[in-house]
Amino acid sequence: MNIRFRGWLCGMSFCILAPAVQAANWLMLQGAEPAGSAARAKVWGFIQPEYQYTQGTKLKAGPWKGQEAIFNQIGPDLKTSSQFNIRRARIGVRGAGFPLDTKTNYFILVEAGNNGITKPGGGTGSLKLTDASITLNYIKGARIRIGQFKYPGSEEGLMAIHVFDYINFTNVTNGVLLERFVKFDGNCKGSNCPANKPLGSVNAFRDIGVQVFDTFKVRDWEHSYAVMIGNGNGITRSDNNSNKDVYLYWSSEKVFGGKGPRRQGWKLFGWYQHGTRTLTLEQGDADPANDITRNFHRTRWGFGTTYRHGRYRAAAEYIKADGMIRNGTDGAAVPGALAKNGAVASINVAPDEQADGWYIDGGYKLLPALEIDARYDRFNRATKVSANERRFETFTLGAQYFFNKKTRVIFNYEFRNAEAPNLPGSAGPNKVLDTLDDRASLQLLAIF
Amino acid sequence: MEHRRMLSPGRRAWLWLLCLPLLALAWLPVARAAKPFAEHKIVLQISDRDPFKQTLVLNVANNLIKHYGPDKVDIEIVAFGPGLRLLFADNSNAPRIDSLVQAAGVRFSACDNTFRAVTRKLGHPPKLNPHAHHVSAGVVRIIDLVNQGYLLIKP
Repeated sequence: MNIRFRGWLCGMSFCILAPAVQAANWLMLQGAEPAGSAARAKVWGFIQPEYQYTQGTKLKAGPWKGQEAIFNQIGPDLKTSSQFNIRRARIGVRGAGFPLDTKTNYFILVEAGNNGITKPGGGTGSLKLTDASITLNYIKGARIRIGQFKYPGSEEGLMAIHVFDYINFTNVTNGVLLERFVKFDGNCKGSNCPANKPLGSVNAFRDIGVQVFDTFKVRDWEHSYAVMIGNGNGITRSDNNSNKDVYLYWSSEKVFGGKGPRRQGWKLFGWYQHGTRTLTLEQGDADPANDITRNFHRTRWGFGTTYRHGRYRAAAEYIKADGMIRNGTDGAAVPGALAKNGAVASINVAPDEQADGWYIDGGYKLLPALEIDARYDRFNRATKVSANERRFETFTLGAQYFFNKKTRVIFNYEFRNAEAPNLPGSAGPNKVLDTLDDRASLQLLAIF
Repeated sequence: MEHRRMLSPGRRAWLWLLCLPLLALAWLPVARAAKPFAEHKIVLQISDRDPFKQTLVLNVANNLIKHYGPDKVDIEIVAFGPGLRLLFADNSNAPRIDSLVQAAGVRFSACDNTFRAVTRKLGHPPKLNPHAHHVSAGVVRIIDLVNQGYLLIKP
């Protein structure tokens, strides 16, 4: 299916399904307890077993021709093109430790699934703390949250994952917001080069720091703001430089009714993030003495809208990224794969590049227990130098069947396409990107 | 000269006698007055620490009112022990409490024993919902109401 036709198909589907993610206040839902009625300790969590499948088409061109293509392998191990997996298994406790004073809330959550948090780059799996925050609600208009928690930002990242309507993130969110932390830029290509493996968990849309935020109700509108300062070095570890990340967030939502993560309403939001990352630039040889370690700016911003009313839900968001662009792997091979010329595939980072992307998403409840979903997303990676640009497009069709309010099964089929738009179709990168398969996924989700 | 008609002392005494009950009624706080035409009298107890019970007791009150009608059922909710949190001023259920009082005349009683215990623990008195009325002891209030013919329900 060509890109133009997919765009048209997406647009048509969107019109039919009506304008989707959630209209909910994630700042308040994830860490703030209701005044006067919080439990001392509420245990909760969820499990997401799943199956994902691609055809596993091998690379058609480049030095790693005939080997596995990273985008056709299933993470986090990237060893197969189809597998059953426990994507997430989280358990947590939240509440007010001293219920007579519900102005102090806590939130702690642990991840035991098999994913980029517990097993970054296919390393050894382990339990990882995803959230550990304390919220102080003593100052009217300025609640304070301290610890490790979701930073204010993109709707797809900020929303609670157990009410996410799809199995996989959009390309742009995965590409520029779900941050991987590596030491090198990946420019060393020799067989003696150090492996550019992830330094730890993906950021999981979280940071360690302090956030000031609150929500104000004006008639049936709810306005929220958040300002946060964090390490900008991911979760469950210390900072690696003295520069801190700054996060700004605003949202205004007309509330139609209901409460919780599936509250009905129409929300407008905007966000901005800026920080610094320390990266070692390899000089194309295996001698670390020649490497240069520098700080690079990393900026992200975006805006969007969500809508949920009756049987309909919809969302759209635009995201812009400047600096520290994750730039795939050498030849789209699995990191560590050995090419015929002796090169070892590495994870690459383009520290001075730019990227942008957007998505549009809609859902319609055919029956109270059955929802159909459609999402189109585009990711333009490395747009500063035209020859570097890669364009990823995915059109996802989905269905969710709700056994009850807390148990559902999700099916997704992703029509995936990618190209180097400024290079001829016969160029090597386009031949490599032609390898990209569609992906089918089935996931069961149970919340307790 | 204007001639003023004066009541005789006897008539004046009768008038005072008739007014006395009305004056006595006027002394009673309006919100605390039981509903004279209520066919069902219910006292609901909230003494649990589980926040779900707060929602439940308000739901029960609401359902009783919906079923019998606001004039046919007289409801008082008595909060004591950990259940007193329902009547804290900042409780997230405050809008529902306000609605039950305004629309259906539901009464809310707060146990003073618990109030004093909470004051000791907090180091300051908790701010209570303006619709909450202090009673010396929640359990005594329940016994009094039961003796007056109220049916006790603990959701």
